[in-house]
Amino acid sequence: MVKLDQINLSKDGLTKFFSPIEAEILRALWNEGEMMTSELTEKTSIPLTSIAGTLDRLVKAGYATRRVENISGRVRYIYSPAASEEEVANEITTKILDNLVDAFGPVALENFSKYSDKK
Amino acid sequence: MIIFGEINCFGFCLETSSIAHLVALFFVISIALLAASFIIKRPKQRLQTFVSAQVAVLLAIAATFYTMKCSEMLSFYLYLAYVGITGILIFGVVRFYDRLMIKRLDAKPAGNIMEWVQKFVNQLASATVYYYDSAAPRAFAAGRSIFVSIGLLEVLDDDELKAVLAHEAWHIRNNSRTPYLKQLAIMTFSSHKSSEIEELADSFAASIAGREALSSARNKVDKVFI
Repeated sequence: MVKLDQINLSKDGLTKFFSPIEAEILRALWNEGEMMTSELTEKTSIPLTSIAGTLDRLVKAGYATRRVENISGRVRYIYSPAASEEEVANEITTKILDNLVDAFGPVALENFSKYSDKK
Repeated sequence: MIIFGEINCFGFCLETSSIAHLVALFFVISIALLAASFIIKRPKQRLQTFVSAQVAVLLAIAATFYTMKCSEMLSFYLYLAYVGITGILIFGVVRFYDRLMIKRLDAKPAGNIMEWVQKFVNQLASATVYYYDSAAPRAFAAGRSIFVSIGLLEVLDDDELKAVLAHEAWHIRNNSRTPYLKQLAIMTFSSHKSSEIEELADSFAASIAGREALSSARNKVDKVFI
């Protein structure tokens, strides 16, 4: 899902493009900036067992970055968003527009201009 | 039947050969050693007798090979290949598996980020603790190395981490025996339950870090540590 190859138009907001857990994590990271794993589980109230795999996936897909820190003798991951909300929105939009042009050519372009005229 | 033809041929060649008694001697020795390796309790001597039994079988096969004038030796080639492959598995792959995992996981010595972890394990076994980049809390032992994910270091407190490390250290201490037990199970077609090994590792971990720490660690780790 994170790779944007599965888009679900029937869902709301970010979950059109991300899984519900991914969307919640990204939303929390955009709001807070830097977060520890424990803060993430608290904020999103998703249990650690479900959040851990998703965090690995988000980091691998390049939507989040993390660094390891030793805080008073304990090892902690500090997560931060790899890109701002605008940048991710930009990436998703470009990718979808590219795909529309790829599939429908002139018809898609015609609709883009109609759409911007309407606005 | 080809196999009966081979056995007949083997018997015939053996009767006419001058070193038939040598072949028989090697086979008797190997069977005696194999039987002894079942009885002996101490892991190290058990392994030694088992290896010697294999060597005796190899010698017997070599002598048979020399004696045989017939060409249908398929079954002996197969056994030879089997012994060779299991030998490589036991003494090759198991020994170098951890090097492979360090590369694949891009693991780094855990002493770099948590000093006491390596010191604690040093008291239990001669093993190096490595950490790797993953939020999923997991731990496992391979070769002479213990691997823990950063996710594991995050969620466990010191006592729970000690329980997990002791569990893995037990595996390292008995690694020389474990693959041998597994191979023996394959050779003799007996079932050897890996859950028995895990139970032994757990009771060792409980004696080091306490049963409470062990069970609370088990509850926190999503995949059971192996």
